[in-house]
Amino acid sequence: MERYGTNYLEERKLIKRWSGPIPALLNLLFTLIVFYATWWFFHDPRGVMRMYTPNVGYMYTCWWLIVMIWIVYLFNFWPFKRKWLENTHPLTKGLVLCAFSFGVLYVMINGFFEGILGNFGLAYFNPDQLVKLPGITEFFAVEYSCLAILMFAAIAAWISPAWVIAMEEEPWSKLPQPAKGFSLFICTFFLSTIVYFVTMHPHMGILYHPWQSFTSIAPPYWEGFADTVSGNFHMAWIMCCTVVVWLLETIWQRYPFNLIRNPWLRRIATFFGIIVIAFAMHFFLYFVQELTWGEAIRGTRRAFAPDWRWLHVAEMAIFFLVPALFLNFYCGNWPRKFSMPVNVLIRTVITLVAAVTLYIMYYKTSHLFLGTQKGFSHPQQFPMIPLIWLVNIWLANNWFMDNWPGWKMVPKTVEEIEADHVARQAEIDDVRWSPSLGAGLGMGVLAGVAFYAITIYALPGLYAAIDILK
Amino acid sequence: MSIDKKEVKRRDFLKGAATGVGVGVFAAMGMYSYSDARKELFPQKERKKKDIGVCKSIHVTNISETSWFDNATLIGDIKKSGGLLVNQYDYNWPPFGNGQGLGKGSYKDGMAKIKEFLPDRLDEAWDVILENCIHPDNPGGYSCLIEMEEMDGNKRKFLLDTGWSYKWMDECFKREGIDTMLRNKEIEALFISHEHFDHYWGLPVTLQYDPEITIYIPEGFYEEGLQYIKDCGHKGEVHVVKNGLFEVAPGFATYVFPVPIICRVYGEQSLYFNIAGKGLVSVTGCCHQGIIRFAETAYQEIAYENDNFHGIYGGLHISPFEDWDPKYDDLVISLGKYGFERIGCNHCTGVLCAKKFINAGYPVVEGTAQFRSKDTAYLGNGDTITFG
Ligand SMILES: [Fe+2]
Ligand SMILES: [Fe+2]
Repeated sequence: MERYGTNYLEERKLIKRWSGPIPALLNLLFTLIVFYATWWFFHDPRGVMRMYTPNVGYMYTCWWLIVMIWIVYLFNFWPFKRKWLENTHPLTKGLVLCAFSFGVLYVMINGFFEGILGNFGLAYFNPDQLVKLPGITEFFAVEYSCLAILMFAAIAAWISPAWVIAMEEEPWSKLPQPAKGFSLFICTFFLSTIVYFVTMHPHMGILYHPWQSFTSIAPPYWEGFADTVSGNFHMAWIMCCTVVVWLLETIWQRYPFNLIRNPWLRRIATFFGIIVIAFAMHFFLYFVQELTWGEAIRGTRRAFAPDWRWLHVAEMAIFFLVPALFLNFYCGNWPRKFSMPVNVLIRTVITLVAAVTLYIMYYKTSHLFLGTQKGFSHPQQFPMIPLIWLVNIWLANNWFMDNWPGWKMVPKTVEEIEADHVARQAEIDDVRWSPSLGAGLGMGVLAGVAFYAITIYALPGLYAAIDILK
Repeated sequence: MSIDKKEVKRRDFLKGAATGVGVGVFAAMGMYSYSDARKELFPQKERKKKDIGVCKSIHVTNISETSWFDNATLIGDIKKSGGLLVNQYDYNWPPFGNGQGLGKGSYKDGMAKIKEFLPDRLDEAWDVILENCIHPDNPGGYSCLIEMEEMDGNKRKFLLDTGWSYKWMDECFKREGIDTMLRNKEIEALFISHEHFDHYWGLPVTLQYDPEITIYIPEGFYEEGLQYIKDCGHKGEVHVVKNGLFEVAPGFATYVFPVPIICRVYGEQSLYFNIAGKGLVSVTGCCHQGIIRFAETAYQEIAYENDNFHGIYGGLHISPFEDWDPKYDDLVISLGKYGFERIGCNHCTGVLCAKKFINAGYPVVEGTAQFRSKDTAYLGNGDTITFG
């Protein structure tokens, strides 16, 4: 029976064409060139399409991400046949699959959201409908509808992969493709719609004057808690969820949830664990800003406004995704030689340090080459767009092109696949309860809390010492 | 055997510890970071309460608040030139046109065509502008006259900003008698809030009547902006006001905010007046720093009568293009907390925002919608307001 790309990613063996760091550096160079060329063509305010308005470019960036996730994680490359995936040149594969993903994206945005929902359901999904509102300019009609459409993609970018990673595709894991893909797609699309309506719909409802209180809840229910009526509060935790899903899937190897032996307990714990970890991150990244820039003041603009602070939480979260994916895709998820918990901790520390470094570098230099403006909270400064765009290119390089040109792909043999499973189970079995482990756990928790306390104590001084914008 | 056992114990301890660190960090992050307890870590700032003196009253005349007449035209120009990040001198807008079309202008080319006519022969300059600039009839400008009465009854006059279109601003100056006041040297100084086209490019309209007037500009002007003062034939003093507080007269101070602004502009200067028995009045050009930040800065920095925020005049830069965002609702909701007693807003506040203020029950002083101002929801061209 045709398997399409079922388990394709784990059943392929990526072989370095050169030893040492050359493949990683080569791929970094290759993807950065593609990044900059496509950035200039599509997004740059000085370039060709100038989609960095910013919401137009942001919408396409988010949608490309979710469509790739759907193709690979939900549909396992269906309708592309396994033979084709294994035997086609990576460059051809990359071009065909990217073109396919753009086609899907176009149908979703123009056909589904603007065409169907925007014309027959909710006016704000279609700029042509929105522009009929007295006083609104075309520019902002487009910005508003792009925001609504992109938020849907942001939500799905968390829920769709979470269902595969946490819920382990259940209860449809045994179905052949495309039945499995459509089941997962419909289920996660439905959940994303619910999340959309209780998070972003009230945000859209208060864009109108007067507030559309009879069709969306206004003022939104989160106002008191988040200190703003803006939906950026939700954008922030949803982005954190997306980032946590991918951290869990890559550098954390689904640890520690994979220790739970009861399957349904494990799945549910993982699904909600992602949300809990994301909220911890969400609150912490907001607190970080209060510690460095001072308390937010509601009603101010930009850097002091709570709505922008929440947006910046989402932006900061994305800075963690970039090094984690690099470590996983191009550095073989280094290190692997210790026990799983130790490996995970080391990778997390590397990711943390790299994310902070990237953040500092980004704000120091990006305005010199991206066509954006200097400063944290300039209205035209949206680091999520270039960073997710880069992540997209890495995903395409890894998923669609098997890490070409630094690597080449050979399918694993049945024995190799079996050996992988044994090794993975051994890693899990290696973490077993013992009094020493218990003692370590206790000490670790204390150390973790101490680390947190020291961080928040030292942060204001550290930040002042670095002075990113000077 | 015992060495092996020790090694196993050590490894188990490490596994536990590595896991524990993660659990501890995330637990602490989740439980403490957004709790009320965190607020104890915020530094308590001491209010400086700098004494800037008091004045009896101010009377503001709105010379013009209509910076441009058609939103769609202006936004269209900006979009086609490459967006909100483009240098304002490159748009090819009046007066700096070189005839090359949208987004292809420069200060140098534009100035070369009009320099010989500045500042006295603005009619001739206008003819050149009509030929070389994009949409020459869309610009208006922002400018107001402030008459301040000191405690001893002495009256002093200041201009805030000088508008944009030479033609429109000259009409407005004549309508309000500013031309005569300038000729008679009744106006002490011209304060420029920021370098934006709609506040600053009408400079020769002021200078044709009084080329010796003292000018105060905020720190952060670009090279072209500084050159413009010279090229307009200014003969008086120019003061570059540094970021922070600057005391002008008893009861009158300005404050410069280092904010990055769209169309490549940096920094804005806004005005504080301390009115005897009433409280603080804010007078702003665009207020790109945000009215709440302006009020919070006053709270931290200066002392004012009754510790009370009394009034506002000017642009609040909320929805200049009549766009909306829930964060503006945050502003509408929170402005009430500051207790301003008279709000005379206009210009880049946006009509929509003024209407939301009125709906929220704020004391917005309505206007007469004359001389091409669009709505009575706020103070229009030719309207006046008195504080004190
Ligand atoms: Fe303005
Ligand atoms: Fe302005």
